[in-house]
Amino acid sequence: MAGDVKRIPDSEQEKYDSDEQVKIICLGDSAVGKSKLMERFLMDGYRPQQLSTYALTLYKYNTTINGKPVLVDFWDTAGQERFQSMHPSYYHKAHACVMVFDVQRKITYKNLSSWYKELREYRPEIPCLVVANKIDADMRVTQKSFNFAKKQGLPFYFVSAADGTNVVKVFKDAINMALSYKKNSSDFMDVVMRELENFDLEAKEDSGGDDEEEEEEEEEEEGKAA
Amino acid sequence: MPIIAKQCGIKFDPPSVVLIYENEHTNKLRKRVMPVRSFSQFSDCSRAAETKHHPRHGRYLDSVSLEQLVRLHTVLRDHLRGLSVEASLREQHRAQAHEEDLNKLGDEELNRCKAQMDVLFEVNRRHKDDPDFVYDLEVEFPENSVRETCSWDQSDEEF
Ligand SMILES: Nc1nc2c(ncn2[C@@H]2O[C@H](COP(=O)(O)OP(=O)(O)OP(=O)(O)O)[C@@H](O)[C@H]2O)c(=O)[nH]1
Ligand SMILES: [Mg+2]
Repeated sequence: MAGDVKRIPDSEQEKYDSDEQVKIICLGDSAVGKSKLMERFLMDGYRPQQLSTYALTLYKYNTTINGKPVLVDFWDTAGQERFQSMHPSYYHKAHACVMVFDVQRKITYKNLSSWYKELREYRPEIPCLVVANKIDADMRVTQKSFNFAKKQGLPFYFVSAADGTNVVKVFKDAINMALSYKKNSSDFMDVVMRELENFDLEAKEDSGGDDEEEEEEEEEEEGKAA
Repeated sequence: MPIIAKQCGIKFDPPSVVLIYENEHTNKLRKRVMPVRSFSQFSDCSRAAETKHHPRHGRYLDSVSLEQLVRLHTVLRDHLRGLSVEASLREQHRAQAHEEDLNKLGDEELNRCKAQMDVLFEVNRRHKDDPDFVYDLEVEFPENSVRETCSWDQSDEEF
């Protein structure tokens, strides 16, 4: 299976089941500023982990919410990756999504709908924040309304990774939404995933391995190519 | 002194930006030559931002867009690489045609585009050692009734 190279072992993602860890993913076209936004939010207080085999960067961020320590893993990938097929494990167990476009390039706004569609195939219910980046380049855009977010009922932010406008707010909101999603998670996919995992374990004990999960992966990839 | 920029161009030797402007008080047309110091074929377009914010020349270039300055600096640089003005502009035009959809570009082309974006990014960037740096900078953009719909929403495809 072509996706194998980029497959991230599920065992590495089990940690996201514990209450004090959340996974937040970034989506958006090439060069919209996903990485710059991450860097602006984290400043020096992060340990980037380059998973080059998976073509993604993991930023670990420790924070305290309501007196409790929380570990946030931000997943950042290159927009280009999409065209080399992004593996479903990028979406797997994500608790929130920050979706970015560039106010200077219309196509990055138009492409939001396909990013969103793909996101919803894997994660039908996680909170998703829409971010209009680079407003410093032309402040007049903040006078305008962008209907995509409103139509989908998603929170919308005007930000600039360069001058810092609303960057911290976006990520703080994302963390809070991720946590409350996790607490109240009734996400059907999530439950199915959990059951599948358990099933997989049992099956392994019985027969020393089963292809159940592999099949699921293939289906997902077909869905994506369509 | 109020300055009305009329025309902005370049001179190859030494590499300089040239501005024709009108002094509003005297109504006189003047020419100002602003050399781009130690410019080489390896200089990148961030030099355009330096010119725009030059301590002495900067105020003459207020109404000249950074975009235009980047274009002019690129012609200067391409000249040092042996390219004619026409060839340079043609190359720049081609790069721009790609500018919208960057998803399909190769690494090198993508990096060139990002380098060009970096010019404005660095100009507008607030650094954490700036005295007025605010980490959690929140700005509200109130949604008022007169807000105009972005034209990007009005084209063919619907979300
Ligand atoms: N003016 C301005 N430029 C920005 C801003 N954020 C990013 N940029 C520019 O956009 C370029 C691309 O930003 P990246 O963060 O690398 O974009 P990305 O979304 O991570 O791109 P991929 O990793 O290729 O998908 C940067 O090199 C900056 O020059 C911003 O807020 N304002
Ligand atoms: Mg990036």
